[in-house]
Amino acid sequence: MSRIAQHPILGSPERGNLVTFSYDGRDLEGYEGEPIAMALHAAGVVIHRYTAKRHDPRGVFCAIGRCTDCVMVVDGKPNVRTCMTPLMAGMDVRTQDGVEPLDVSDPRIERLASMVERVAAEGGE
Amino acid sequence: MERHDLIVVGAGPSGLSAAIEAAKAGMDVVVFDENARPGGQLFKQIHKFFGSKEHRAKVRGFRIGDELLREAAAAGVRVSLDSSVLGLYQDREVVVRHGGEVFHIKGDAVLVATGASENTLGFPGWTLPGVIGAGAAQTMMNLHGVRPGDRILMLGSGNVGLVVGFQLLQAGCDVVAIVDAAPRVGGYGVHAAKIARCGVPFYLSHTIVAAEGRDCVTGVTIGEVDKAWRMVPGTEKHFDVDTICIAVGLSPMSQLLDMAGCDMVDDPGRGGLVPVCDERGATSVPGIFASGDVSGIEEASSAMIEGRISGATIADYLGYLDHDDEKARVDALETSLDSLRQGMFAPKNRGRVVESTDEGCPVSRNLLEHGFLSDDEVWSYPGTTHAKGVHAVIECSQNIPCNPCQDACGKGCISIGDSITSLPVVLSEKSCIACGMCVASCPGQAIFLVNEEAAEDYATVTLPYEFLPLPVAGTRGGGLSRSGEEICDAVVESVRSAGAFDHTNLLTIRVPRDCAMRARFFRIGRGESCEDKEVLS
Repeated sequence: MSRIAQHPILGSPERGNLVTFSYDGRDLEGYEGEPIAMALHAAGVVIHRYTAKRHDPRGVFCAIGRCTDCVMVVDGKPNVRTCMTPLMAGMDVRTQDGVEPLDVSDPRIERLASMVERVAAEGGE
Repeated sequence: MERHDLIVVGAGPSGLSAAIEAAKAGMDVVVFDENARPGGQLFKQIHKFFGSKEHRAKVRGFRIGDELLREAAAAGVRVSLDSSVLGLYQDREVVVRHGGEVFHIKGDAVLVATGASENTLGFPGWTLPGVIGAGAAQTMMNLHGVRPGDRILMLGSGNVGLVVGFQLLQAGCDVVAIVDAAPRVGGYGVHAAKIARCGVPFYLSHTIVAAEGRDCVTGVTIGEVDKAWRMVPGTEKHFDVDTICIAVGLSPMSQLLDMAGCDMVDDPGRGGLVPVCDERGATSVPGIFASGDVSGIEEASSAMIEGRISGATIADYLGYLDHDDEKARVDALETSLDSLRQGMFAPKNRGRVVESTDEGCPVSRNLLEHGFLSDDEVWSYPGTTHAKGVHAVIECSQNIPCNPCQDACGKGCISIGDSITSLPVVLSEKSCIACGMCVASCPGQAIFLVNEEAAEDYATVTLPYEFLPLPVAGTRGGGLSRSGEEICDAVVESVRSAGAFDHTNLLTIRVPRDCAMRARFFRIGRGESCEDKEVLS
């Protein structure tokens, strides 16, 4: 167990409510509001994703949202930095395999895409 | 378009300090930070800071962070969190992403205080889960209460490696070694000494050959490097570890300044690509300023003063300050900043091998090569003397900007003088009352109270102790040498914990009289009883 119960300088860490979340389909517990990566680490999970080309395992590296090594698929959304994203009850967290494209169902992006298409058609290039 | 007098990028020690100064001058200031909490890295700093009273020396970093946040709130500084600044364009137009939307905002002045990011090092296996930055370790244990690993190797003996190495021990991790390719310890000797006395070995002129493991780190092999940094065959050493921490320096995060068209320079002395700016933070682009690590890697105390100087300068630039007032105040801040930039570790001495102290004492080779002063070398410094009764022994052997010990002693036993980098002198003609304030106030944990002839058959040593479990009077164990070797039996005579000590407990142990000047740490014996915090709380 890697949780610090008592720290000589900081005392006992403040934690949110103990909640259940799903990791690759199995139930794990963590504290609400802590980064997802911390809940996983405390539960002994170290592999967050596999690289696209070589299928190498990657996990937490910088823990401050800079390196993106810890990204996972959270509630269906890929490329989520788990070291920065607070854990919530019932979250569905999955190991990411390779690089997954972003969902582009945003109506503004669709509008933009159709505009680009129209301009391209009118421009005659 | 929304506009502000000043936009600050980064709510770390420097950005907040600048925002406070500008807001106090009556400016409308907004601070953007991509994190969920303000304070930058300050809240991960649980050690007592160096410097002098005006730099908030002997106060732990996270408490300085709390003070800064209170001051910012009182000054009316608005901090917008979860707000990533994506770009800095012509006429000081700032593009910010917040809540999934992108905003364009203008500032009459913009201060970039984005700080620095950690460097890393490639070696076979370096991408395995379990290889982490030292900053990541600090974030995990000090912010989130999670141990990064059970058995850890630290690569890097600069102050970050040493401070985080000690914090790992405090979090209950086993640190198997501190490794550095350089032939000498890079950080403060006092930081190294407090790790060495816990029994952590230093491997200088060594680097990582490879990290081992298939799915995650299960071990590491290090090897010696020669003067040309080539691996010496046959010198490999293996450690079973689950975590490797990398602390090989920081690089300024200066991309926004580069993007804004500021003149940049690649300056290894300042950590990499930095803006060309004057001593008050003005870059080559009018209205754009930089302060803190983004303009050159130093530490949090100087970043805070630089921020204040830049904040006041910006207020003056936009006509918010009476020039004479500003000048006097900025002059005082510059003097204070200058005092932090003195001594052996001053930016101007980077890369230089200093052979002797300002006082003419030889610099300890053992400290530089193994992380601790040898039993003979300790007598070379003015903090170590023989005396009757209880007296302070200060094992401070390098000129660093730090003087809380002088203020801590109400009896005048300790003298540093006006230059805060001077070595402390223990005046043995003054009488020590064994109050222990000096022991608790030394950020380097380098002060001990020794009574060489406490009784016929034992001496007493009072030492700073920041670990759990906390022994109690009567706890038996071993007296450890400066290198962490068990040299004698020891028993705890008393444990003192006071509010003024701020979690630095004072352990007084009884050791054989011939160990009075050698025993510097205490290891609790197997099965010995200690205070049980779980039961008490």
